[in-house]
Formats: sequence, C-alpha cells, structure tokens
Amino acid sequence: MTVRGVIALIPDACTSCMLCVRECPTWCISLQAHPEQVVDEGARRPRTVNVLDAFAIDFGLCMYCGICVDVCPFDALEWAPDHDYGAATRAGLVQPMERLAAWLAPP
Amino acid sequence: MKWVTSPPASAYRLAGDLGVRVVVANLGLACCSMEVEAAVARGLLVPDDGQDPESTVLLVSGTVTDALAPAVLSARDHLDGEVVVVSFGACASTGGPYWDAPTVTKGIDQLLPVAGYVPGCPPRPEALVAGLLDVLRDRP
Amino acid sequence: MRLVPRDEWRTVLAALHASGLVYLDLLTAVERDAGLEVVARVVRPGSAAAEVIVAALPADDLRIDSAVPVYPGAAWHERETAEMFGIEFTGHPDPRPLLLRTGLGAPPLRKGTVLAARVVQPWPGEFEPSRPDRAGSPSRRRARPLGVLDGWPDEGGRP
Ligand code: SF4
Ligand code: SF4
Ligand code: SF4
Repeated sequence: MTVRGVIALIPDACTSCMLCVRECPTWCISLQAHPEQVVDEGARRPRTVNVLDAFAIDFGLCMYCGICVDVCPFDALEWAPDHDYGAATRAGLVQPMERLAAWLAPP
Repeated sequence: MKWVTSPPASAYRLAGDLGVRVVVANLGLACCSMEVEAAVARGLLVPDDGQDPESTVLLVSGTVTDALAPAVLSARDHLDGEVVVVSFGACASTGGPYWDAPTVTKGIDQLLPVAGYVPGCPPRPEALVAGLLDVLRDRP
Repeated sequence: MRLVPRDEWRTVLAALHASGLVYLDLLTAVERDAGLEVVARVVRPGSAAAEVIVAALPADDLRIDSAVPVYPGAAWHERETAEMFGIEFTGHPDPRPLLLRTGLGAPPLRKGTVLAARVVQPWPGEFEPSRPDRAGSPSRRRARPLGVLDGWPDEGGRP
C-alpha cells in the first residue's frame, strides 16, 4: 500500500530490464546501464549482465501512480515512507540513484 | 471540516510557532487544492488573521492551462508587496500527468519565477508545510 | 444498445423522446477502425428505463443530424463531441467550440492525433542496456512509446 511517500530504489536488485522506464506514463524515469561479461566458475561460456550506471526519477513529473513499483519483476522499487523531496529549482526535483537508494540504507 | 473559499485565492497562515510569519494565498485550480484543505482540516494551516506577514506566498495548487495562465499572473498582481511563488504538485511544476496535453502549461515557471517546488500528485499536507519552511527559511 | 442508420438518427431520437425517454443522459463518440460512432443514452426520469443508440459514421464523412431540436440538452454534448472528435452536427443552433480554443490543430481525442509533447520529448524507454550504442533500433519490440504512432512523423500511420 502506498502512503504517498516517494519511490525508493534498491540498486542491487535492479537488472536494468527497462520495464519501469517503458511503462511510466509520465516518462519520468531514466536509466543508464552497460553490458558486462561475467565468467562463472565451471561455466563453459561467460554470461552477459547489465550493470546499472545511473537511475533517476523526476519527481516534478511523477504522478505517484505506482506502476513502476508494480511492474518491477525484481522488487527493486518500493514505496518509501517519507515525502520530503521539495526543491528550490526545477532541476532539483530529479532525484538520482544515490538519493533513491538512501531510503533503504540502515540508519 | 471547514471550507475557506474566497476567490481568487484563500489566505492561510502556518499554524504554531515555526519561526515564520507567512500568509499563504492558495490558488486552488485542481485536485491538489484538496490537500491544502486537508492541511487546514488537520490544523497545519489556519485562516489568515489579517496581521502583517513577513512573507506572502502565492501557492499554485493544481493544473494550469494555457487559457488560465493570465489568471495566475493576475492573482500574483493582486497580492501586496513581494510575492514568493510556490508550486504545489506535479501539475503546477511540470504539467504532471497532463505533461503531454496540448492545452496544459508545462510548469508555472514558464509564467513567473518560482521559489520552491513541492512534488507530489498530490503532495501530502506535511509536504506542504515542509516545502513552505524550506522556501522561507532560505530567504534573507 | 441499438444500431441506427445515421440518416434516421433524429427520427429515432424523436420517437424515443415521444415514448417518455425525455432526458438525454449522454452523447459522445467512439473511434473504431472504420470510422466513428456517435453514442447517445436517453432515460425516462424517475425510472430505470433507458436506451442507448449508436450511429456509425464513415471516416470520410463525419456528419450527423444534431439532436438539439429534440433534446435541447444535447447542445453542449455535441459542441464538445464536435471539437474533440471532429464530427459535424448539422443543424446545431450554436456550433462554437465549447472547451478548446481554436487553432490547436487536429481533434485531440482522435487516435490519429499525435500529441506533440510525446514526439518532441525523447522517450527514456528507447535506451537498450544490452546495446547502449543502438538505442531506438526499429527492430525493438517497443521502439515507440504508447501514444506515438508507428512510423510517425515520417509515414503518418494508424495506431
Ligand atoms: S509512480 Fe508512476 S509516474 Fe511515478 S515514476 Fe513510477 S510509474 Fe512513473
Ligand atoms: S523494472 Fe525494476 S529491475 Fe527493471 S529497470 Fe526498473 S527497477 Fe530495474
Ligand atoms: S498534481 Fe495530481 S493531484 Fe495535483 S492537481 Fe495535478 S493531477 Fe491533481
């Protein structure tokens, strides 16, 4: 359930699958990532994983619909309990990955 | 619940001793305005008592269409002295859910200088108080 | 729901009105592949009696008789439907736009009307992490966001 807090990101859980970015009705999520080869011990071929470089939500546009939270197949997005993203400038409403992840850091 | 609806904007003060004496003129244009009323109902805002404020805030809460833009400017001109404009909610800040509508203004900063933005659709009443305090405490 | 030929639209409405369904509840339009449909719902006040009638308009001739002579309350519905869908209600006594200013271009509720903001604004979903250099490649399953037509603006196109 939403308490109309903001949206938090768990970067380690995010696979850069782009689902949230593509489903967001206000186009307010942006994501940067790149592929990397990971060699598993004993595996015959390396596998490719996407490494998340940047993730931002523009809370100036976000309509708190929760679609991103719902569609994320990896539970990497969650409702955070607080609301405090006020800003003095328009650009200040865009919250980068570090800030989105900070909600979940241990106190 | 108490409704204060005197056009074009209803005037409130921040309740309690928060270190700022401000009168907030709420220009309620859409659903966000309900949260301003909720802030009143919860006692976070109280009706204006008419005394001289330190600051005057024009709170634009709701969707601004291009057709309505002149009315927003005129509401600012109807307030005395220096007016601090605060954008309350996604619609006033960027167009919000109506960002792709041909009729909606993509943010009131296209019309007048904005001192603070409170994000949300709608923002919570607490966010309103926090946003007002942020804006006013940073001022000289 | 009853499909009526569009030439009989006003006659059918008059008969419904005469039968006691004197209140016009709704008049709007729906876009289909072949054209548009005008929909009206009329009710008998104080009872559950109601009827919905639909008339199909071909895409190249979006005209239908105004219902205003029978149901004066249709005036605003028709003005709104006219400006939102580009339908002409012949015989409407006051066909000014109701909500929109003029000069906005194509009727906004038609599926073929492209919202400029959705085309001008780069879609963040175009980015493809596995191939960051090949963003927006047309072979992508959804290279275009919802609400932007395939092939727009180069080929026009249908949703
Ligand atoms: S809550 Fe809705 S509008 Fe906000 S980022 Fe998620 S999908 Fe986009
Ligand atoms: S849907 Fe989840 S896993 Fe996929 S990009 Fe968004 S946050 Fe990451
Ligand atoms: S931001 Fe959301 S709640 Fe506020 S006026 Fe716009 S649509 Fe309504």
